[in-house]
Amino acid sequence: MEILKVEFLKLRKKTRIWLGPILVFWLIMIAYPLTVELLQDKLQIGFFSVLWIAILISMMLATEDIFTEDYNDGSLEQTIIQESSFSTNIGLKVFIYWFLTGIPVSILSFIFSFGTTQNFGLSLSIFPLALISSYIFLNLFVLGNSLSLNKGSVLGAIVTMPIALPVLIVLGKSITALQFDINFEGFILLLLGSLSIIIVLVPIVVSYIIRAHLE
Amino acid sequence: MFNFAFNSFYEAIYMNGHGIYVWSVLIIVLFSLLVFFTVYQYKIKKIKEKLDEFN
Amino acid sequence: MIKKFIHQFASPKTFLLQVDKFYGLIFFTSLCIYIFSIIWGLLFTPEDFVQGNSFRIMYLHVPASFLSQSLYIAMAVSSATYLIWRVKLAAYFVIAIAPIGAMTTFIALVSGSIWGIPTWGTWWQWDARITSTLILFIMYLGLISLHNSFSNYEKADKLLSWLVIVGAVNIPIIKKSVDWWTTLHQSASITLTNKPSIDPVMLYPLIGTIIGFFGLIICLILISSKNQIFIREKNKSWVKDYV
Repeated sequence: MEILKVEFLKLRKKTRIWLGPILVFWLIMIAYPLTVELLQDKLQIGFFSVLWIAILISMMLATEDIFTEDYNDGSLEQTIIQESSFSTNIGLKVFIYWFLTGIPVSILSFIFSFGTTQNFGLSLSIFPLALISSYIFLNLFVLGNSLSLNKGSVLGAIVTMPIALPVLIVLGKSITALQFDINFEGFILLLLGSLSIIIVLVPIVVSYIIRAHLE
Repeated sequence: MFNFAFNSFYEAIYMNGHGIYVWSVLIIVLFSLLVFFTVYQYKIKKIKEKLDEFN
Repeated sequence: MIKKFIHQFASPKTFLLQVDKFYGLIFFTSLCIYIFSIIWGLLFTPEDFVQGNSFRIMYLHVPASFLSQSLYIAMAVSSATYLIWRVKLAAYFVIAIAPIGAMTTFIALVSGSIWGIPTWGTWWQWDARITSTLILFIMYLGLISLHNSFSNYEKADKLLSWLVIVGAVNIPIIKKSVDWWTTLHQSASITLTNKPSIDPVMLYPLIGTIIGFFGLIICLILISSKNQIFIREKNKSWVKDYV
C-alpha cells in the first residue's frame, strides 16, 4: 500500500507524463471528424478503428519515460535491493499509470463513442473493452520500454508493437460481434484472460530485464 | 509418377500463363538463398583473415 | 544430467569441430534433395484441376512458411536454454537464426503474394494468416534491431532472449489463425494426426522440398552461428589456434 501511495504521488507531480497521453487521445478523437466529411453515418464507419489506435498511441506515450528517471537517478537499483518484491513494485507502478491514464482514456472513449454513434448500449460496452485493452497495451509497452531502457522509447515501441497487434485484431472482431450481437461476452472473456496472464507475467519479465540492464 | 507434365519446353516455361508467377518465385527463393550463403561465407572469410593478421 | 550434457556438447569449440565435420555432407545432401524435388514438383507433377499450374508455387512457398514459424520456435527454445542454463552457444544461436528467420518469412510473404495473384485475384489480403505472418516478419526485424542497438553482447543476448520468449505467444496465433478466423487460406493439408488431404503424386515432391529446404536452412544457421562464434570469441586462444 505504501508503494502504491508513493508511486501515485510521484506520478501525480509529473503532470506532463499522465496528462500528455490523455490530451493526445483527445486530440486524435477530435481530429478524426475533421478529416472525414461531416456526415454522421460516414463518421461511424472508421470510428472504432481510430479509437483503438488512439488508445494504443496514448498508452505508448504514457509509458515513454516510465523507468528513465528512476534509472538515471539510481532509484531503480535501490528498489532492486529492497526487501519487497521488485516485480510487485513494477506491477503496482503499471497499475498507477493505468489508473491515471488508462481509466480517463476509457471514460473519454465512452463519451466519444456515444457522441459519434448515439447508441448508449454500444458505447457502454466500449467502456470495459477500453479499460481492458488500455491495461494490456500499457503492460506491453512497459515491457518494450524496459528492453530499450537507455536507448529511447521508439525502439521499445517497435519491438513490442507486433505483440500488441493481435490485441487490435481481437478488438476489431469484438466490435463486429457487438454490432451483430454475437458472442461479445466471449471476446471480453478472451481479453480478460489475456490480461490476467499479462498482468502477472509482464512485471516478472520486466524485473529480470531491468536486472540484466543494471548488472 | 515421373511423367513430364508438359508437351514441349516452351509449354513448361509458359505454364498456361502461370509460368511468370512460378518462375519468378523460384528466382526469388534461389536468389535469397544464394545471397545469404555468399554473405555468411564472405563474413567468415573476412574474420579469418583478420584473425590471421593478429596471429 | 541435462545441464551436464548441455555443457559438455555445447562448448563453441566442440560445436565448430562438429560443424566442420558434417557441414559438407548436410549441404550437398540437402542441395541434391532440394534440386531434385523442385524439378520433380515444377515439371513432373500433373496440373492441379482447380488452380492450374500456379499450384506449383506450393513447392517453394510451403517449405518457407513452415520454416518461418519453426525457426521462431527454435529461437524460443534456444533463448530458454540460454536463460535457464546460461549456455553461451544457445545465445549465439538466437541471434544467428534471427536474420535467417526473417529471410524465410520474407520468402513466404512474397511467394504467397505472387501465388495469390492467379489464385485469389489479389496479391494481398488482410486475412488472418497473412497479417500474422507479416507481424512475424516485423518481429524478426525488431529482434535484430534490438540486438544491434547494444554494444554489450551479454546484455543484448539476455534482452533478446526475453523478448523472443514473450513474442512466442504469436506462434500459436499464426498457427491457429486459419481455424479461428474466416480467411482465404485453406486449413493445413498435412498434419501429424490426420491422413494428408493432398494427392501422393503432389505430396512426395512437397515432402522432398521441405526436407531439402530445411537442410539448406540448417546449413545457413550453422555458418551463421560459426560467424557469431568468431565475432564473440575472437580473443580466445582456441579460436586463434583453430584459424
